[in-house]
Amino acid sequence: MYPIKQESVEWQSGKAKNITFIVTKDCQLACKYCYLVGKNDKERMSWGTAKEAIDYILGHETDFPEESVVWEFIGGEPFLEIELIDRICDYLKVEMFRHGHHWFDSYRFSFSTNGINYHSEKVQQFIEKNHTHLSIGITIDGTHAKHDLNRIYKGNGPIEKGSYNDVVRNIPLWLEQFPGGGTKVTISSPDIPYICESVLHLYSLGIHEVNINCVFEDVWKDGDDRLYENQLIQLADAIIDGEYYKDYACSFFSEIIGKPLDPKLHNENWCGAGKMLAVDASGNFYPCTRFAAYSLREKHPIIIGNVYDGIDKNKLRPFLTLDRLTQSPRKCIECEIASGCAWCQGENYDAADTSTIYQRSTAICLMHKARVRANNYYWNKLYRKLELEGEREQFENNRPKLNDIIC
Amino acid sequence: MLQYMIILLDDTSTSFCHYDVNTAKKRLINLDDLRAGIRMAMIENLTIQFVYPDYDLPQEYRDVIRTIDHSDIKPLTNATQETDVMTLDGWSWHVETQYLESRIVVIRTSLHDLLAHGDEVAVLLSKAQRLNVVITDVERFSDDQQVIYNEWLGKMGQEVERLYVNGTLPQFNLLTDRMILMTMNNCGAGNSCITLAPNGKFYICPAFYYENHEDSVGDLVNGIIIPNNQLYKLDNAPICRNCDSWQCKRCVWLNRKMTLEVNTPSHEQCVMAHLERNASRDLLLNIRKHGAFLPETPDIPKIDYLDPFDNINN
Repeated sequence: MYPIKQESVEWQSGKAKNITFIVTKDCQLACKYCYLVGKNDKERMSWGTAKEAIDYILGHETDFPEESVVWEFIGGEPFLEIELIDRICDYLKVEMFRHGHHWFDSYRFSFSTNGINYHSEKVQQFIEKNHTHLSIGITIDGTHAKHDLNRIYKGNGPIEKGSYNDVVRNIPLWLEQFPGGGTKVTISSPDIPYICESVLHLYSLGIHEVNINCVFEDVWKDGDDRLYENQLIQLADAIIDGEYYKDYACSFFSEIIGKPLDPKLHNENWCGAGKMLAVDASGNFYPCTRFAAYSLREKHPIIIGNVYDGIDKNKLRPFLTLDRLTQSPRKCIECEIASGCAWCQGENYDAADTSTIYQRSTAICLMHKARVRANNYYWNKLYRKLELEGEREQFENNRPKLNDIIC
Repeated sequence: MLQYMIILLDDTSTSFCHYDVNTAKKRLINLDDLRAGIRMAMIENLTIQFVYPDYDLPQEYRDVIRTIDHSDIKPLTNATQETDVMTLDGWSWHVETQYLESRIVVIRTSLHDLLAHGDEVAVLLSKAQRLNVVITDVERFSDDQQVIYNEWLGKMGQEVERLYVNGTLPQFNLLTDRMILMTMNNCGAGNSCITLAPNGKFYICPAFYYENHEDSVGDLVNGIIIPNNQLYKLDNAPICRNCDSWQCKRCVWLNRKMTLEVNTPSHEQCVMAHLERNASRDLLLNIRKHGAFLPETPDIPKIDYLDPFDNINN
């Protein structure tokens, strides 16, 4: 049987603590769909704050019992602070060893970058030094036109300058260093007509794994769901007819989505906010970066402590007891195609009628339904093709495990 | 479903719960607002509890109040024979004070002061119809204080048992409520209970009013509109809905203050409620040694945790 490419499972998925350093709130770009409403070039993390955060976290080992750790660096654009990051990572390695910490040798450094200065000497030196413990994803949205529709440089006045050329030149180097590297694509309303060609374009660049999600914000226009469905069906045809499914994965299509969810067996929260930890330049701790002030349009940040006083565990309790049913409206609880319908706790909070994380935003409802219809089409078509080719039974026996990446 | 309306008659109305009255400036509710509030309560079938300041109300207010069946909550300094609930703030009063007898008495106190005034509590148990102790510094309760609070509850349990053996069973919120309850019986703010403040607006409870006047949930013209009102219901409180500390106040204001969510209690609130629950268990077992007592009520089960959050997350 030929292989069917499956999405890769995140390193130590479900077993690792994700700890995020918001090293800067600055970025070279001003992407139109970016949820970071408060980006600026003033709030850069100091070495002193980073060190305090590390000392606190490693000094409270029993509060962090997870088997492994993912030290994540985010911005803005994290590689703008590569010197600080390099110092942080060196210190982390030394301190995890010195403490005899259970995370020593069970850690990753993770980055999501716009890719613009990926080739720079300092970034490359850092990659060479830490390669075996690195996960780096470069965000490229698809074709030149699609990418430059949203991912534009900041501060160009009325003339918009796209970033495609400066990113795509670094893709070969990135894929050489991280051959399994996947990219993350974000879809907003104006992007819908470009979905199919963009995914195929990313495949043509040699990227074998494309993780896509619609923005959770309420940006959708009447008719977007039908356009979206049509784009996904075009993509399904292209992937199956071109037999891309053998070597390439696209997170749009998953066998687990579009099924009813049992209220008791499937009551877990989708989002990991609260199980993660983020720290910013001021030394404040957040349950996820999405609860920092620069991520929020309407609400106050949810600060759960700081590097000096530690974590206020009371403020984590709502996050750690949150379940699907308690935050969902009736229509979601009774939805017959609920599985795979994601949410972002930060967006839920930002869009809620009160200051609560317990009100689920349903802005993507129609988009999820459209995705489910296209997904049904994809699997019906693929199953039939496999059956006609005598491969169906083998496929069923070797069903890939899927890993929905949502944020 | 709403069942009760609390009407704060003045900005200086006495506190009967965890919140502090943070102003000394008198402001009576507008008389027309008082009439409108009473009318609304009558239409909606809500039982009214008037909360009084420490001065006598003008006659026209008393006349309006008399038009509706109600309960009066008054500070000791302004209590009368007719007062239903009397509030005591701290311990600067004498146990022989008039009107303590056969009244519902609310004492607001810090934990430290409560532990130091066990003798007065014992006297009140023998005099009052019911004693409600409100600990005003729940948020500062530390795990180190568990032992001492537990011991104090044990001593008070012995006092209740002694009174029972002598022929009276006092009502004491910290110890006897859990013995007789068969299900959750909490404060109900935002669910069964709403507060009309002196500014003519509705609030989840008086604490929400004193904390932020902008935090209203409606007014007498537009009615009561509680956004996300499901979060005040037990079913939408993941920690509480499976908990059996049924006597817990489950204070939604303290919840919001400590955890930022009205439906999520703090560790401190849970631990205190469970110490009281466990002391109630011991008391029930001890009373039953003297003969049949509440035969329809099952024993309170033995548990090995003080914070149900730990059960959800382990």
